[in-house]
Amino acid sequence: MTIIAESKPKEYCDYLLRPGNTNCAGCGMSIGLQWLDQALAGEKPTLVIPACCGIVTAGAFPTSGYGVPTAAATFASSPALASGISAIAAINKEKNPIICWAGDGGTYDIGIATLSAAAERNEDIIYICYDNEIYGNTGGQRSSATPEGAVTSTTKSGKGERKKDIMAIMAGHRIPYAATLSVAHRDDFLRKIKLARATKGFRFLLILSPCPTGWKSEPDESTDLISTAVRSGLFPVYEVFDGKRYRINMKPDETPVEDYVKKQKRYRSVAADPKGLKDYIDQQWRYLIGMAKAFPATKDDGAFLATDVKAE
Amino acid sequence: MREFITGNQAIVRGAVRAGCNFVAGYPITPASSILNEIVRAFADGSGTVVQTEDEIAAIGQCIGAAMTGAKVLTATSGPGISLYSENIGLAQMGETPIVIVDCQRMGPATGGATATGDGDVMFARHVTSGSYPIPVLAATDAMSAYRLTYEAFNIAERLRTPVILLSSKAIAMTRQTVDLESVELPAAITRQRATSNGTFQPYHVDHPSDVPDFAPIGGSQRVRFTGSIHGEDGVLTIDRKKIDAKLKHLNAKIVGNAASLELVEADLDDSAETLVISYGLADGAAREAVKQSREHGNLVSHLTIFSLWPVPEIALRAAITPSIRRVIVPELNLGLYVEEIRKQVPGVLIESIQRIDGGLIYPQRIVDAIEQIEINAARGEEQLR
Ligand SMILES: Cc1ncc(C[n+]2csc(CCOP(=O)(O)OP(=O)(O)O)c2C)c(N)n1
Ligand code: SF4
Repeated sequence: MTIIAESKPKEYCDYLLRPGNTNCAGCGMSIGLQWLDQALAGEKPTLVIPACCGIVTAGAFPTSGYGVPTAAATFASSPALASGISAIAAINKEKNPIICWAGDGGTYDIGIATLSAAAERNEDIIYICYDNEIYGNTGGQRSSATPEGAVTSTTKSGKGERKKDIMAIMAGHRIPYAATLSVAHRDDFLRKIKLARATKGFRFLLILSPCPTGWKSEPDESTDLISTAVRSGLFPVYEVFDGKRYRINMKPDETPVEDYVKKQKRYRSVAADPKGLKDYIDQQWRYLIGMAKAFPATKDDGAFLATDVKAE
Repeated sequence: MREFITGNQAIVRGAVRAGCNFVAGYPITPASSILNEIVRAFADGSGTVVQTEDEIAAIGQCIGAAMTGAKVLTATSGPGISLYSENIGLAQMGETPIVIVDCQRMGPATGGATATGDGDVMFARHVTSGSYPIPVLAATDAMSAYRLTYEAFNIAERLRTPVILLSSKAIAMTRQTVDLESVELPAAITRQRATSNGTFQPYHVDHPSDVPDFAPIGGSQRVRFTGSIHGEDGVLTIDRKKIDAKLKHLNAKIVGNAASLELVEADLDDSAETLVISYGLADGAAREAVKQSREHGNLVSHLTIFSLWPVPEIALRAAITPSIRRVIVPELNLGLYVEEIRKQVPGVLIESIQRIDGGLIYPQRIVDAIEQIEINAARGEEQLR
């Protein structure tokens, strides 16, 4: 696939995410949607969005945030609605990508049945979950993506359970492409969007999406936080091909997870001793390294984009 | 003690006073704060609260807990009650008490997530396939939300049925001054337990409108629970006589006990020519309008309905005193319940006042209606309908 570079500046209305939208300052969605736009290089996707902050972004004039066709699905069924659009788009030989843009609630919790089914049918959809680890839209309740120890409006002394491993679940569907994306690493982020775009079938992308409102963090520290999450190993950046070949894109350094935790008041009850998170990092990396060793990605996996990536 | 609390806080207080000890819910505006508040209320260990993965799970957990004897509540709004629907039918079939709070929003689907309305009055009545009846109560403010939550538990336990309590965004999230402790309430009711003598039939009733005795699932008596049509033993049946008996019982249990379910407030004037009937959010405006109209010298009666379904026929008929010539029904929907009132009081001029855009009906609109009707009626005009 050739990726056409942008030739002329965009009009205000042409941006996938328009300026003047209602996203909070420092929201990870704002970075993610702009980078998605840049990676698609002029292509206009159809966005399918369930109930979440991202559908509030669609908003009312003059703050309607999307410069592309946008469909609001019920909370539980964005992959189903997208499947319907995709089926007819295929008959009509339409080329523009169909992208589900959903929060962790719509992905890990209420939407997981339709997500799993669309993945199993290998629908030609790019599914992007911006995971802010909370129900941002309804006042910050826990989700099954909320990490252990985090305070939410329904886990007042810190969540007791662990975060669900949605990547393992999606890899288990043997979909062509699944990857985690960091809003602190633009090149890797754009490459993965392009690779997802160039791949056919169901593609699952997971973004750890800073949410100053829910995380009780400073808006201007959002990307630093994600960078810390990646370097401490809390958010591993990797990709899985056909659900069975793993490639780790970034290795953690010695950055302590405390650096991440202490900047977010949601972790106030575990800040002194984030043992649960440390164990989580440990186990997660043991699993990932094991998988990457036993089932490594080949040099052909994603290779046809190698040159584009360097050009970024 | 006077407090300044929201309708949702009042509901939580009513539930706790009724002995509620299990809540499962899923966040949704404007019901979310019920879940948040109950987390606080149960922090002392007096109950269990679960935030589930969706609404199907929320009501599913409630049914499971209720089958063991717990007093359960779940709260949601339009999109969520749509997902409750199948499980409400299951609870109805298995004669399982649940209190379901619907904090209504405006419109279908997401509608106005932060806008108000009373649009679910028919949906609540017909929420299950087959349209077998479910008692439906409607709060008018924080105080009535408190009292009706308590009453809802009593009805649910007494008749072993799901009960829907309608609230709305404006009641759920508005603070009002209340004195909850001063409210006099009947004794809390708990399901009639089965005695352990003889063979236990989980759904046995002597008369169709009776309620079967309860035994918890997993206890010493064998309880069978199924969503399929079943006989008194709880075993799936294809025997038409048993099918007929079960379904008639589900109807008779509610309809046959309708008189005991009537909850209204009647402010009647024996010589009134106009009767205002209100429920839900329009009630506040109706009260104010009646007051103003009386100050203007009009003779007006007012009936507030708290128990929408079954329709409180006795109270309705009693409110149509001999001099009543017209009835005014303000509603925050397309004029849904007014049709029910038309059925009950044929031959009386009925005017429907509606608003559906998320805004409130102001008292002046009702005052205007009362006074205009007076004039027109005096002229003998009947086309106001
Ligand atoms: C069936 C249904 N239940 C509940 C809701 C209320 N609701 C809207 S958005 C939301 C939370 C969304 O959380 P998430 O998917 O994590 O996205 P975020 O708001 O954090 O962006 C909820 C519970 C709904 N719209 N529909
Ligand atoms: S609440 Fe969080 S996810 Fe929602 S717009 Fe604000 S920062 Fe973004």
